[in-house]
Amino acid sequence: MKTYIAQRLGVGILTLLGMSLVIFALLRLAPGDIVDILFSTAGYVSPSEKEAIMKELGMDRPYWVQYADWLRQIVTFDLGKSYRYDLPAWQIIRPLLPVTIELAVLSILVAVLLGVPTGVISAIRQDTALDYALRVVSLGGLSMPAFWLGMVIILALVSWLRWIPPLTYVSPMEDLKLHAVQFLLPALAVGYRSSALIMRITRSALLEVLREDYIRTAWAKGQTGRVVIWRHALKNAMLPVITVIGIEFAFLIGGLVVTERVFNLPGVARFLVDAILWRDYPIVQNLVMFIAIVVILANLAVDMLYGVLDPRVRYGG
Amino acid sequence: MTHHRVVAVLAALLLVAVAFATPATSQAPQTPKSGGVLNLTQREDLPQGFAIHETQTSSTVWPSMPCLNNLVVYDPAKKTESLDTIIGDLAEKWSWQDNYRNLVFFLRKGVKWHDGQPFTSKDVKFTFDMVREAPDAPAKLRINPRKDWYANVEAIETPDPSTAVFRLKKPQPSILMMLASGYSPVYAAHVPPASYRTGCVGTGPFKLKEWRKGEFVEYVKNPDYWYKGRPYLDGLRYIVIAERGTRTAALQAGKVDLAFPGETSKTTAEELKRAVPQLVVTPVSENVNNNIIMNIQKPPFDNLKVRLAVSHAIDRRALVQAVYQGGGIIGVSMAPRPVGFWGLGEKEIAALPGYGKPADEKAKAKALLAEVGVSPEKPLKVEMVTRAIAIYVDMASFVINELKQIGIEATLKQIETAQWHAMAVRGEYQIGANLTGLGADDPDGNFYENYACGSPRNYTHYCSEPVMKMIDAQSQEIDPKKRVAMVAAIQKKLEEDAARPILSWRLDYFTYSPHVHGFVPHNNVYNNGRMQDVWIDR
Repeated sequence: MKTYIAQRLGVGILTLLGMSLVIFALLRLAPGDIVDILFSTAGYVSPSEKEAIMKELGMDRPYWVQYADWLRQIVTFDLGKSYRYDLPAWQIIRPLLPVTIELAVLSILVAVLLGVPTGVISAIRQDTALDYALRVVSLGGLSMPAFWLGMVIILALVSWLRWIPPLTYVSPMEDLKLHAVQFLLPALAVGYRSSALIMRITRSALLEVLREDYIRTAWAKGQTGRVVIWRHALKNAMLPVITVIGIEFAFLIGGLVVTERVFNLPGVARFLVDAILWRDYPIVQNLVMFIAIVVILANLAVDMLYGVLDPRVRYGG
Repeated sequence: MTHHRVVAVLAALLLVAVAFATPATSQAPQTPKSGGVLNLTQREDLPQGFAIHETQTSSTVWPSMPCLNNLVVYDPAKKTESLDTIIGDLAEKWSWQDNYRNLVFFLRKGVKWHDGQPFTSKDVKFTFDMVREAPDAPAKLRINPRKDWYANVEAIETPDPSTAVFRLKKPQPSILMMLASGYSPVYAAHVPPASYRTGCVGTGPFKLKEWRKGEFVEYVKNPDYWYKGRPYLDGLRYIVIAERGTRTAALQAGKVDLAFPGETSKTTAEELKRAVPQLVVTPVSENVNNNIIMNIQKPPFDNLKVRLAVSHAIDRRALVQAVYQGGGIIGVSMAPRPVGFWGLGEKEIAALPGYGKPADEKAKAKALLAEVGVSPEKPLKVEMVTRAIAIYVDMASFVINELKQIGIEATLKQIETAQWHAMAVRGEYQIGANLTGLGADDPDGNFYENYACGSPRNYTHYCSEPVMKMIDAQSQEIDPKKRVAMVAAIQKKLEEDAARPILSWRLDYFTYSPHVHGFVPHNNVYNNGRMQDVWIDR
């Protein structure tokens, strides 16, 4: 087990190294740079002034020097300076992380709490009116983008109640109730979409398991429906569901752009888009690396869970 | 009052040579109340912090103005800005001397920077020597978009801590207009100019409390403000709301008190009014025009006939209706009356290319193109560039349709913001749909920036010696009446040369809460963000 984890972490580090090259290269391939943006806010361009700023920001150095410098910064936990804000990148990034992590965790919780039970109900009531109704609801979730649903929620609240959630971050220490409201509404919008996917996977996986011999044996032994479904069938049907949950969570860390924008939440995804538009390389590079780390760790966690859920799974060297 | 009378009043004021300044006052009918925090909308995070001298966007100037002061400022209580609406700010009064060659500012005494240091004439010299890039300037701006505004300043002298003298190379009444713009604050000489990118040491009515990146900017009342009794508010909170729909919802829900200037379209304002009838909506000019840039250095637009054909082809009134749902007005290179001071009258505009009856204008356009060999069988194929932002693309799409009707087939190429200005400055385009914002409704600021030979923002590379002479002449003209006539002649000439055909002037339906008092939206989005006279009564 330890060898397996060490191997996976080793592969993860290699993946991150590859990612760092891709991020670095893609950013430089995109047309324009921070200096062009600065000039565009001033409405003119001066080649000599541009040269001076490039030098000031260290962007005149060869690419390999810039890349090596960035790797050195990561290893020494010094993430460099934001070009745009002229502040240490970590100082900018640090407050964004808890916002996005909390929203992603809450969204996944909503998705699981909605998706798994409805998937189970749908499977055990296959081809009944209830199954059809739940599948329509699920199809709705898949069809509605989270940002659209978010905007509908905001418009409904403002039209009916003349109220919208807080526009700046409210910490739980400051006001727990308001904090919960601030995060639950976007979590519902995002979680509904993810729950649709989880519901469909749960349903199909469970239907497959319910036709297995050991389930038939359990019924024959006179086990109650609750025990057969929840202990024997669902546990074995959970492997693909866990995979989907892991992928969804990893996706949410970087994929909440529009939801964070609509609900005006100061998270990673919204800030990442701004940083890309500004070509703020230190911020973009480090935020994308953070997302990559989450994806790798989420995948590892999912693989570890396989063993917990299914003892037949063995981690070999 | 007629335009000529306004000019006469202006002349009288100038001839007296001394203008006594009064602090900015609001004409609110009720007794102002002190206290409370005003919540304002901010459409994006501050692009370069509070470094107003390094940017050219209202996203910087609007949330930074409360921290700083100018020498002079446009009266916040007057909607339309002109020379006669300028009042004192850090300068208590000013005086023109030596036949308009010296502008002497008599500064307020006892003014303190937010860090407690005294404000003196050294700060004035430091700021404007830096902006005009004087050879002996003690500091340099990283980016300096308004250096040309002060090209006529020969020296700035400080005979004593309360006096600053701007010595000009030649008379230039307009320099006051530029000094009154929100883009002309006085920086503190004792802090590095780069520090304004991350913080703000000003003399203004509000002190910076916190700038949480991407979230909000918070100010608190400056208890040592030089204008006793101001500001009324305890604080200001600029909330960054990037999503347009959320901004509108926030205004509707009463979470913000003021919209962001230049952001409320006619349709949005109408929807808001329907939802919350108490909201106050004031249509004002943004001092931003839509225009067509044609690269005069390259075929086919090096040919005046082709440029004129383009200008004739575009139905400006239809554009205002189709693209802005009526939220715009027709005018040429200076903002039209009544939102501007220098613009041409309706009759004068009607005689210019592109402003007649649409069918007649299109016929003229076709005739011009026929002279250069363009016909329906042999159309002119061009590439139209525009910035990849909806307000640009909508306008470009309309123009492409208009051009198609006269035999010009244009394909649209959207340019990302990062590339737009660099592309335009380098002249790497044939024809483009563009927006131009003006920091002040002033002929010098506009003509030297957008039409003068060699100016980096003269994207079309239009360069006419006679026009340059006309621009120089109006700049030096002391008689306001004569100057108005000279500016009118330049505007006509620019349209006749199709230098940069103007399509319309955008209107903003500025919306704010009925609880807000003492705020008068200006016909310019760049100059009215000080907030010292604003108060709330919730």
